[in-house]
This record gives sequence, structure tokens and C-alpha cells, in this order.
Amino acid sequence: MRPVAQKQVSGRRRRSPLPYTWQRGYLLASPALLVMLAILIYPLGYSFIMSFFRWDLSGSAPFIGTGNYTDELFGRQFNQALRNQAIFSIISITIEVVAGMAIAVLVNGKLRGMRLARTLLLVPPMIAPAVVGLNFRWLFNTQYGLVDALLRMFNLPDIPWLNHPTWALVSVIVADVWQNTPLMVLLFLAGLQSLPQEPLEAATVDGATPWQRFWHIVLPLMRPVIMIALMLRIIDTFRTFDVVWLMTQGGPGGATNLLTVYSYLLAFQAVDFGHAAAVSYIALGMSLFVLGLLYGVPWLIAKRRAI
Amino acid sequence: MTEAAIVSERPRPKRRRRRVTAGTVGQYLALALTVAFTVFPLVWLFLTSIRSSADIFSVPVHIIPETATLTQYVSVFVEYDTMGYVWNTVIVSVATVILVHLLAIPCAYALSRFRMPGAMLIFGVLLIMRMIPVIALAIPLFAVFAAFGLLDTVWALILSHTAAKLPVAIWLLLGFMQDVPKEIEEAAQSDGAGTVRTLVQIVAPLIAPGIGASAVITFLFTWNDLLLALTLTSSKAAQTLPVGLTNFVSQFGIDWGAMSAAGVLMVIPTLVFVWFAQGLLVKGLTTGAVRG
Repeated sequence: MRPVAQKQVSGRRRRSPLPYTWQRGYLLASPALLVMLAILIYPLGYSFIMSFFRWDLSGSAPFIGTGNYTDELFGRQFNQALRNQAIFSIISITIEVVAGMAIAVLVNGKLRGMRLARTLLLVPPMIAPAVVGLNFRWLFNTQYGLVDALLRMFNLPDIPWLNHPTWALVSVIVADVWQNTPLMVLLFLAGLQSLPQEPLEAATVDGATPWQRFWHIVLPLMRPVIMIALMLRIIDTFRTFDVVWLMTQGGPGGATNLLTVYSYLLAFQAVDFGHAAAVSYIALGMSLFVLGLLYGVPWLIAKRRAI
Repeated sequence: MTEAAIVSERPRPKRRRRRVTAGTVGQYLALALTVAFTVFPLVWLFLTSIRSSADIFSVPVHIIPETATLTQYVSVFVEYDTMGYVWNTVIVSVATVILVHLLAIPCAYALSRFRMPGAMLIFGVLLIMRMIPVIALAIPLFAVFAAFGLLDTVWALILSHTAAKLPVAIWLLLGFMQDVPKEIEEAAQSDGAGTVRTLVQIVAPLIAPGIGASAVITFLFTWNDLLLALTLTSSKAAQTLPVGLTNFVSQFGIDWGAMSAAGVLMVIPTLVFVWFAQGLLVKGLTTGAVRG
């Protein structure tokens, strides 16, 4: 989508008969820009500033510098949430991308029923995460839930899904994987179907095995799509709230507190807006940092090699 | 000679066909497993919603419901009075879609056609806004709307969703605007059409699929939202269906049957759009590759 800007710079040099003046442009854009300024940018700036104050809606809000940030960064609960977030993001993104790619490659053929399958794959990513949360809470119910019932059927021991700290985090990851793997499949399928055919045919002629073709040709060609998929999932896992809220509300004992859930609890249960705002900005900073690594590290390596 | 040639040639296509079949079986198996895992949790949700309460709380679990009944759906509306939540959700989602597009279409047009100083800054801001965790926005909006006395009104939700969904919609529409050839607009304008008329009568119809895609995406993400509604509303005056789902948990213990029925109701718009507007949805998801 970058060409938009480039076109404007290079293509618009010639005199257009149209009154494409910048004044008119701003006139057309101003309603949207003003709404975003008032309801997005102003509140975000306000809470960023307030994250340096003791902000608890009690009226007086003394300036405390970076107090909220240092409290949280060295606090036990924040570090638990951070650890949960790291485990949740790394495991669910890895499973979603790897499984998504595997399924996309497997079903990337002219099979009967592909249209129907692709339609069905659209459903999980587009239904409310709140419904996904409640549904998996029901499936993982230890008394009447289906999953434990199936385990019993095969004489396996029950698993205390949502009542046990580790299993609760596993359950939340399972729900997230169920909802978002199909999105990865759709993205990768779109990528696979726009791949150039010549290199693949050439490799087949040269006697490459299917695995070699995938590893040395398909995967490198799919790199841009994989990067976009990773970027989307990183942004989204750092915002995950709904699924967790309906399944565990961050429990048991904070074992499924992700950064957004923890920030919500601070603001609306502890009524400590200063700390909550600080946590939400730390979460944003971290997702920006991870995205920076994602794009920066390959760039640095490429630069090193060039020298 | 000819017979020998035929005989010697025959096995080759046969072998190839068999190899294809083996691979195809594997592919179908993978496809079937994927579809089963995708669909099953939703089927289970539906099955739970048509069970009687006694059947839901039976051990061992019956996979197939003993009887199909609509009592859970009746209790969703009669006992839990869910109609209010449904109306709020519909009002908020529809108003958000309309407002977002009234604002986003001219803005995307301006950004794609007019040489505006500071356009790069606007693009940058749009990109960053897509990454902001919703909670970072919900916290100050609570304080701001409290100051204006807008808390617990549908207006708080409509305004905040409109602002939150604008960057994604503008970004999506920009992509479609680029594909409209400028010559058409130039012809319209030399015939005396003004900027607004060109946009409404020439450009907007040409990017109708793009508007459709962004409308569907905006609608579903607003319909599905829990976090903003949870923070900005506190009573049935403005609460939406996802918040209603959380009330099934806290207020009444957990009524799994009614909760599943409400969950099924929540999924209906998604199913409708997936069935009737699949192309628009895929376009919206893969063009912008966006969420939230």
C-alpha cells in the first residue's frame, strides 16, 4: 500500500486539469481527522501524560514521575503477567503459523469441497472472541465438559483445565489457536496461489523432492506473507482480552493474566488508572519492540552480508 | 507394432494416476480433519443450546442430545431479557458502520488524490493507531466520557467505535481508490461536476466492492467487541451482547444452556456474512490484512 504516497510524489508533477489542491484535500479529510484527533489521539495523549501521575479518579493527582512504571516493572503481578504474555504469544503464534502453513500447503490443490472448506475456515476468525471464550470454558468444564468426558471414555485421567494454573494457560492458548489458525491458512493460501510457477517446475525437472521444493523455494518466496502474518499476530496477541475474560478472568491466581487483562483489572477493579495506563503503554512499547526485532534483525543481517 | 506400442504405453499414465490418487487421499484426509476441528466446537455450542437443562448437567455426557428443545432460547429472551442487549448491539454496529464510512470515504479520497502537505504524517499515524491496544484507549475514554456525562450511553460506544475503526477503514479504502483511473474523474470534472459530486457519483460507485468489504469488516468487529462495551457501559441502557454474555457468568451462576443459546445468537451475523458476502470478507481480511 506504500505506492499511494509514491504516486503522489512522482506522478502528480504534471499539471492536472483537476482542482486537486491541498486546501480542498484537507477540507475533505478534516471531518475524519478531527474525529480521530478528538476521540483517539487526544485521549491517548491524555492517558500517556496521566501515566506519570497518581491517577485514581479521586480528584487530586500528584505528579510522581516514572513511579507507575517502576512500580510495575519491579512488581510481582506485572512480571507474572509479562511471563504469561510471553508464553502465550510465543506458543500460540508458533502453533498458528506452523499449522497454518502446513494446512495451507496440504489443501492448496484443486480438491472437491475446497470452496466449502475455505468458507468454513472464515468462520472462527470472524466470530466474537467472547463466544469462543465461553464455548471453550464449557468444553473444558471439569464436571460436564466434553473434553474431560472424552478423556474418561478412553480411560485417561481427568485434566483440571481451568482450575489449574498451567492448564488454564494451556486452555487459553488452545482457544486462541482454534480461532486464529484458520486466518493464517487463508493468508498463506492467498500467498501460495500467487506464487510464480516457473521456479517450482524447474526444481521438479532438476529432481527436487517435494520437501526440498517447499524448504528451498516455496518458503523463501512466501517470506513477505509470513512476515505480515507474524506482524498481525504479534499486534493481536498483545491486545488479547475477550477470550481470557470469558474463560478465566485472568485466574486462577493470575495464571492467565495477559498484559491487557492485567491493565483492565488495575483500572476497573483496583481503580488505579495511573498504573493501568502505564501497563497499557508498556504493552504497546513491547509489541513495537518485538515488531522492530522482527523487521530490524533480518535487515541488519542483510546489511552485514552486503558489506 | 501398434498393439505393442499401446501395451508399452499403457502402464505409464496408469501409474501416474495411482500416484495422484494416493496424494489426493492424503490431501482429502487433511482437509477433512481441518474442517472437523474447525466446525466441531461450534456444533457443540449449538448442540448445548438445544438441550434441556437436565441433559446439559448429566454425567456421563451425552454426545447426541436426548431431545431437541427451544427452551434455552425462550429463557434467553424471557428470563434474561436479552432483547435489550440485541438492540443496543444492532444500533451501535449499524451507526458505527454509517459514521465510519461517511468520514472515511472523503478522507481516503483526499489522501489518494490531493497533494497534501503532511500526508506522510497522516499515513504514519494511521499505521500506529492500528497497533494501539484497545485497553490503552479504553482507560482515558472512560475518564473523558465520564467528564461529558456520556458513560453508559450508546453514544459513548458509537463515538469510540467510530474513532477506533476509522484508521482501518481509511487504509482499506485507500487501496481501492488507487485503482480508479483518474481519467474518468477528469472527464466528469471537465463536464462541470464538482469535487463532491465526482466523489459521490463517479468514484464511490466504482469502489463499491471496497466499501462493501470495509463495511462488513467494520460491522463484525464492532458487533464482536467486548472491551470497549465492558468499560464504557454499566447498565442495560447501553450494554451490548458480548457484555450480556459476561453477565450470564457473574449474576446467575453459570446457566450454560441459556449462555450457549445467546452465543449462537451472537454468531448469526458472522454466519450470514460468511455465507452471503464471502468474497467481501476475504477481500477485507487479505487486502488490509487487519483486525480490530
